[in-house]
Amino acid sequence: MDFFLSLVIAGACVGSVYALVAVGLNLTFWTTKTLNFGQGAVMMLCAISTALLTAQGLSNGAGIIAGIAIVALVGVIVERIAVRPALKTAGSMGWVIATLGFGILLQGITSKFFGSQAIPFPEVLFTVQDVIDIGGQNISLQYVSIFVVSILIIVVLEGLTRYTVLGTAIRGTAQDMELAIVQGLPVNLIVSGSFVLSSIMAGIAGILTAQISGTVDPAFGFELVLMGFVAAVLGGMGSSAGALVGGIIVGIIGKLVGGYISTAAEHGIAFALLIMMLALRPEGFFGRAEVTKA
Amino acid sequence: MDDQLVPDKAVQNMRRILDNKEIVAIIAPAGSGPSLATMDMLEADGRPTCNPLAQSPSVIYPKGKEQPPRKNVVSMAITNESEANRLGQILGKQYKNIGVIHESTAYGVTGAELVKKSITATNASAKVQIESYNQRSQDMTSQVARLQRSQVDAILVVGLGADFAVIRKNMSRANVKVPLFGSTGAVTSPYLEGAGDLAIGTRSVSPDAFGKRPLSAYAQNFVDQYRAAYGTDRWYGSDAANPQISMAAVVGNAYDCAVVLLDAIRRAGSTEPAAVIAALNQTKGLAGIAVPSITLTAELHEAFKPEDLGLFEINKSATGALYLKPVVE
Repeated sequence: MDFFLSLVIAGACVGSVYALVAVGLNLTFWTTKTLNFGQGAVMMLCAISTALLTAQGLSNGAGIIAGIAIVALVGVIVERIAVRPALKTAGSMGWVIATLGFGILLQGITSKFFGSQAIPFPEVLFTVQDVIDIGGQNISLQYVSIFVVSILIIVVLEGLTRYTVLGTAIRGTAQDMELAIVQGLPVNLIVSGSFVLSSIMAGIAGILTAQISGTVDPAFGFELVLMGFVAAVLGGMGSSAGALVGGIIVGIIGKLVGGYISTAAEHGIAFALLIMMLALRPEGFFGRAEVTKA
Repeated sequence: MDDQLVPDKAVQNMRRILDNKEIVAIIAPAGSGPSLATMDMLEADGRPTCNPLAQSPSVIYPKGKEQPPRKNVVSMAITNESEANRLGQILGKQYKNIGVIHESTAYGVTGAELVKKSITATNASAKVQIESYNQRSQDMTSQVARLQRSQVDAILVVGLGADFAVIRKNMSRANVKVPLFGSTGAVTSPYLEGAGDLAIGTRSVSPDAFGKRPLSAYAQNFVDQYRAAYGTDRWYGSDAANPQISMAAVVGNAYDCAVVLLDAIRRAGSTEPAAVIAALNQTKGLAGIAVPSITLTAELHEAFKPEDLGLFEINKSATGALYLKPVVE
């Protein structure tokens, strides 16, 4: 039972970070029907900035805020130079390549200026040794805090989009951009804002994950964005509840497969789930099938 | 050129190097993945090449040890075989149920297989459980939980420093307190920095060059010159009087490559590849850092020997710095 529980707890924790990444991907999908495939580099940039700034003597809190501010600015830039021009062309290849390329560029710049070696990340939420005893099972407080922070952020964001004027504006833009413009909504600002929020989500996910691993390097984040994408598709593209469920399912199933079957299959199982979902229910658990009027 | 241990980038870098006809000798990329991705290019090109770090045997002997090595490629790297033999003997003598966690690269897979072979050769009744992970995995709960369930009495990690830090942290979270061993590549600065005080007590084999006191005159001269040029950087460590043991494996091997190539060029009196390779094959007893006495022949292109490795344990100094301390076996 201890074995099973430890796998489920670790899976839920890691899965909640996947959910956070998936929600970030959903944000830009709502407003522009695009996904920022450079999110992995955004996570890396936030985590590395935080690590470097705290190593220079900044407090953990100030380092995190500065890291998040940097990636928020990156969100504006990626929308302006990689997505907006690409949306003027037909098809999705433009923004896919542009966002991927932007991510690779960010990774390259970071390697150039800060080196490609892993650097230590500070313990911002408890230490590795902090545990609580629940039913005789030692549970890491780092895992618990990561899970709680991720869920809290997703719930707050969901509340924001459902119950505030800003949220109504975002949903309006998502449903019909042209009508939103006619209604006088600042659509460009809303789109930029969605990229900023998406980058902030990625940045927080990066910080939370670096907390588990203890180090960050320029290649950090690439696998996370793939897992976030799988979570988003499983849950249903555009659905926050779906992202949450999808992320936790991917995390827990990955750990259970790794624990009971083979550690070599731990990562591959996520993509097997993705293929199955696309074949059996392409709209995901919480998504609705898209209907196009002639 | 920096390939960040990514084989594709290593191939691009090597193409640029090989296109430059003014380059007369090459020090190959670090890591088995990037090295294996570029070795065929280097062999086809024919220029003298030295491998500083890649441990996979197929880097030098692509058709197995029974067949001749690549003609133009020699190696100063610790060999998987010598490292696995030392670690396997140590583990086999002291423990009965050993867990091995390895990265899913050529280095990790061969390393784990060779260690298992060496452990069972030392102690036929010893049990060995092997688990793998992908480089840069952010969580290793499954691997650690599986070994914990099997009640292993020691764990060996064959991988690189940053991943080793993740494993050590996972062990701490899961309250796994068995003795921990690491391969040479695992017990490096990223491990010490990533795991912090959790690294204390970890044991590893590493080139012995900086473990002996007093240092040999050759090693002392190298250390002094390195410190004068680069200061007490992350490879040297913060203690000016005692360079980190792991520097011999990272910086020392690459330095040995430069030494052996320059020596061969000098003796050949030419930079023509065939002449330099012939001179390389006649290298005998040349002084080096990671390999204190470098000898190569047409059949023997790996200079590193098992006796060049020492056993070390991570300790904490009075100033709070982590360092490797030689262990008397």
